Amino acid sequence: MIELRNLTKKFDNFTAVDSLNLTINTGEFFGLLGPNGAGKTTTIGLLSTLLLPTQGEILFDGEVLSRQRPDLKRKLSVITQEYSMRQDMTMDEIMEYQGRLYFMPKKLIRSRTEELLDFCGLIDYRHRSVRKLSGGMKRKLMVCRALLTEPEILLLDEPTAGMDALSRRQMWNLLRKLNEKNLTILLTTHYMEEAESLCSRVALMNHGKLEEINTPQAFIQNLGAYTVDHFTTDGTVSRFFHQREDAISYLSSLSGQTALRDTTLEDVFLERAGNRLS
Amino acid sequence: MGIITILWEKWTEFKRDFYKITLAAMVAPLMYLIVFGLGIQTTSHGEPYLYYLIPGVVSLTTMNGSFNAIAQNLNVQRLYEKAFDQVMISPTPLWQFILGQILGGTLRGLYAGSIILLLTFPIGTGLIFNGLSLFILFLNGAVFSSLGVVVSFLAKNHADVPRFSNYIIMPMAYMCNTFFSTEKMPHGLREAVGALPLSQTSNMIRSIASGGEYSLSGILILFLYLTVFTGISFWFLYKKKNL
Repeated sequence: MIELRNLTKKFDNFTAVDSLNLTINTGEFFGLLGPNGAGKTTTIGLLSTLLLPTQGEILFDGEVLSRQRPDLKRKLSVITQEYSMRQDMTMDEIMEYQGRLYFMPKKLIRSRTEELLDFCGLIDYRHRSVRKLSGGMKRKLMVCRALLTEPEILLLDEPTAGMDALSRRQMWNLLRKLNEKNLTILLTTHYMEEAESLCSRVALMNHGKLEEINTPQAFIQNLGAYTVDHFTTDGTVSRFFHQREDAISYLSSLSGQTALRDTTLEDVFLERAGNRLS
Repeated sequence: MGIITILWEKWTEFKRDFYKITLAAMVAPLMYLIVFGLGIQTTSHGEPYLYYLIPGVVSLTTMNGSFNAIAQNLNVQRLYEKAFDQVMISPTPLWQFILGQILGGTLRGLYAGSIILLLTFPIGTGLIFNGLSLFILFLNGAVFSSLGVVVSFLAKNHADVPRFSNYIIMPMAYMCNTFFSTEKMPHGLREAVGALPLSQTSNMIRSIASGGEYSLSGILILFLYLTVFTGISFWFLYKKKNL
């Protein structure tokens, strides 16, 4: 279980994370959503001890996380937003370095590397240096590296950024499978469909504060499960309805191009971005 | 042991860039030896100037080799590649990471210094380089590797490390008992420069090379620098809020 207690991070006078209180249960797939600058990446930075909190604390299974706790850090793997890898190393070397940093036996590093690179379709490029990989391949390699150490907690900061649609779907399937094995996952993403598809709960952040935590379905239900889009010359105007009949009735009152569809988490996000989150 | 992991990383880098590293370690010291030692033929203390120069050049080569192996590399890993993030996240104790960096940098410095010794060996100077010289050069490399760690964490952008080299390392390379004795400097400056680690190293290496003694105070000064720089490195990694 991950607990954030009154977690605050200030950079000079700017408060990036403001008194964050949050509990993520073991085996949960949790999403952290919010506009740019909401404090998501800073929260991941704090969880990975790259940043130290100005106030508050982080607990893993009841124990306070710090840079001096290798036993707690052992449970964690992080896929950062940026490609955090030595550019001059080959894929094999990247994996070996990671395994060594986690004190894994050499044999296990080799067998897990084979397995993971093969699974992600990278095995043929294992002797290629990171510098010569495409963006998508680097992302996949970061996933392989994170999974090499068989973590209990996986922090994902925009893990599918820069991936094509097929690779993204493959990644989703992989993450689902991992979560089924009781891996706790904290995901930040700009892709709302990703959060909706994967996360059992999501938190909306803005200006470093937690706005609301709920299941994606509850967020959608609260806004209205049905959306009517009215495409006007000024742009698309969407209205949300709890009852399908109400949506149809409204739709029939409109002229011009219209559409009735299910509400998505993206609608929730956009609605809040246009109101409270802005 | 995390130190072995860091040494493995340095070894991987060394194997890959063997020729580049070796050539880079040779060029500047060879120029010094050719220009000041063979080109401008002078004497010092009644002996060819080259005999005076070699211990200084070996000392400054270990300094440059060690500092450059760490400062720029770690700075790039931290600010540009972000590879350092994975070390921070990993369970490798950070003190082991720092000691691994210092040891790795020291070995690179020793490698660079030994190339110069090998290249000057055929000249037949009769200068003595023994286990004690090796120990002092090792200590010198450790001091400048630890300084490299500090500088890489102080740097706010990629240009900061070369800037530090220009303002601090390069003047030291010329002034610290390498090309001429600090005794010729005016009072005040002489003491200040004399207390710098490279001055101490050059002094001791030169003394041993000509059959003299090492200085205990010199060794203690080097240890003091090493302790201070290592302590600052520990502070950065354990206490600095934003890495």
